[in-house]
Amino acid sequence: MKLSCLQENLKNALSIVSRAVATRSTLPITQNVLIATDGSRLKLAATNLEIAISCWIGAKVEKEGAITVPARLLTDYTSLLPNEKIDINLTKNTLHLKCARSETSINGLDAADFPPIPEVTDGINTKIEREALRDGINQVSFAAATEESRPVLTGVQLEFDGDKLILAAADGFRLAVHYTSVLTPVSAKTAIIVPAKALVELSRFLSDQDESVEIIVNQQKSQALFRLKNVEMVSQLIQGVFPNYSQLIPQKYATRAVVDLTQFLQAIKMASIFARDGSGIVRMEMTPGPEMTAGKMNISARAEEIGENIGEVDALIDGEPAKIAFNAKYVSDVLGVIKQKQVALETTTSSSPGVIRPIGVSNYVHVVMPMFVQW
Amino acid sequence: MVRSILHVDLDAFFVSVEQALVPEIRNKPVIVGGRPDRRGVVASASYEARAFGVRSAMPLSKAYKLCPRAIFLQGHFHLYRDFSSRFMEIMADFSPELEPGGLDEAYLDVMGCDAIGSPREIATKIRGRVKQELQLVASVGIAGCKVVAKIASDLSKPDGLLEIAPGEEKRFLAPLPVARLPGVGGKTEQALKKMGIKTIGQLAMVPVENMKLRFGTYGVMLHHHANGIDDRKVAPYDEVKSISRETTFEHDTLDQRFLEAILWRLSERVGFDLRSQDKRARTVGLKLRYADFETITRRLTFKAAIASNEAIFDAAVQLLGQALDRKRKLVRLVGVGVSNLVSDAKQLNLIVSELQRRELVNKAVDRVRKKYGFTSIQAGRTFALKDTFSDNESA
Repeated sequence: MKLSCLQENLKNALSIVSRAVATRSTLPITQNVLIATDGSRLKLAATNLEIAISCWIGAKVEKEGAITVPARLLTDYTSLLPNEKIDINLTKNTLHLKCARSETSINGLDAADFPPIPEVTDGINTKIEREALRDGINQVSFAAATEESRPVLTGVQLEFDGDKLILAAADGFRLAVHYTSVLTPVSAKTAIIVPAKALVELSRFLSDQDESVEIIVNQQKSQALFRLKNVEMVSQLIQGVFPNYSQLIPQKYATRAVVDLTQFLQAIKMASIFARDGSGIVRMEMTPGPEMTAGKMNISARAEEIGENIGEVDALIDGEPAKIAFNAKYVSDVLGVIKQKQVALETTTSSSPGVIRPIGVSNYVHVVMPMFVQW
Repeated sequence: MVRSILHVDLDAFFVSVEQALVPEIRNKPVIVGGRPDRRGVVASASYEARAFGVRSAMPLSKAYKLCPRAIFLQGHFHLYRDFSSRFMEIMADFSPELEPGGLDEAYLDVMGCDAIGSPREIATKIRGRVKQELQLVASVGIAGCKVVAKIASDLSKPDGLLEIAPGEEKRFLAPLPVARLPGVGGKTEQALKKMGIKTIGQLAMVPVENMKLRFGTYGVMLHHHANGIDDRKVAPYDEVKSISRETTFEHDTLDQRFLEAILWRLSERVGFDLRSQDKRARTVGLKLRYADFETITRRLTFKAAIASNEAIFDAAVQLLGQALDRKRKLVRLVGVGVSNLVSDAKQLNLIVSELQRRELVNKAVDRVRKKYGFTSIQAGRTFALKDTFSDNESA
């Protein structure tokens, strides 16, 4: 193998694929990155056996070849090189890099021993706009469970139906659902569960160069491929049945408060300082205004030993006065991913799920269970 | 302003409840704790039995030797709990500043309750109502601080009322042996004796610095208490910091199945108490006493707080296995405890997990037990123990 490429391209590619490098592994070669010529381009790939990321960069290829080298070492080294041309040369299993006035040799392992990156070709195939996918991932992935006791909840369900796509995630206390559409309709209704971690990685490297993302799911629904212009990610899919969430979304409310998102978030953050030792409990009291005037929402928290905080925001209230308590983190999490200026909080009783929706769009709904408190 | 604190203590509580319900055993030596041919200790002894030298916490076999004609009772703990709450309700009628110190005693701050009467009048009224409504006898100590009030009620027993006037605390305490101070047990008593200190008066004269050097902060507290100084408040809500249960076996054993059955039973007990207080625990502890009285404790701490019997049991079994792997000796006693308590998060569930479902089952069983008694519903695992524990066990 003999080629040359630009330091900046190599550095960027390494930073993308290194997200898939195994940190602890029984298979040492998964801590390496695969470097291989692919036509007139250079391909880099890494896998932790759950996800695999491949990235292509432009190169001047003189001689074909492939090798794997320790990912961390190569990434650290490359990031320190000046932004100039790097000459790469492979002799036996040693990779030589020459850039400006630096030269290095890195011992590698045979590329033939590298776990094959799964090819996902058959099954359903569609395309989605980059921004649509990114918004969807951002608005639901944080609601997925982080503990592994219920594997399906650590994933995000992607439900394809015609040109509709619904992303949903839940962790037992909350549920986030985002409705969007794909550019090319799928041939058959399909639902898959993608590990939330994989989608978060994907959203990180969706760049401005990528107008759309191609999604291919294999027939067994065991793997999905996300193809960007120069990057591909293959993820194993979580097997199992995702909870039937539509029945968890309340269909009506007794009280609906529309508030300014920035004010609401600010009040929640202030209250959460006092909610830290009390299991993060923030209390909300919604009071309608008299005769067609705006009402208000009080947001308060107290810590037994420290003190308490009460904040007030203006609210347009439809329905009865209401009280409800939430974990502050759950509320600030959802407010943090909504881009609209206003949100609505809908409640029925203080012990039934609350619903938060952005005002002005109908593509997102977030359900969060309250906390039981003595008022 | 001078504080007025009452320490109200029921005389021979368990035995007195038994006697209140069964007139035939009144004025007789009665011992609650269990059958004298079983292992176990005296939980409560009537004054008639005490005349023979029987004391609380004494092995039942010894009590039997001292007083063979005593009436030995297994005890009815749910009744004691019931009497206890009625006792607390009586006192709560006089002041909201009530701090229970177990089932049968409580501190009551009556400062500012002059409208009801002087502290002595309130004490007399409480004693009267306890006698009339519960047919029990309460002894009361009155003083300006908790420690002196407690010692006064102790000294006034049985059926007594002792008021220590403000300024008289030191003179009252001085002639008493140090063991009268709450918290001074055998070891401290011996240590003090070596320093030539036998009475509280002598203890009061030891400079606080010396006490601190010898006993640390505990020594400073002793110094203050010996001088009749105690500014602890009567705290109505004494947060529970840990919950534990232990049991001594009839025969020393290494029988794994028996030990696990016992651990399950203790875990159920601890879990029941934990859930009744709306708490969860991050730490599970195991106490083990070998036949040779060597006693060890082991702990396991989790990231997420737990509340189910199963989680407590699993941890206890793991700790037992580790302890026995290291030292295989016959076991005389095991105990299970939880600490690092956090209040039950109260986060309601949108989707119920397997673990939570188990806790819900636990809670449903708890409700049955609260209504029909602990042994009304049993796990198969503890079936073999049905003769070991009776319905009114305290363990």
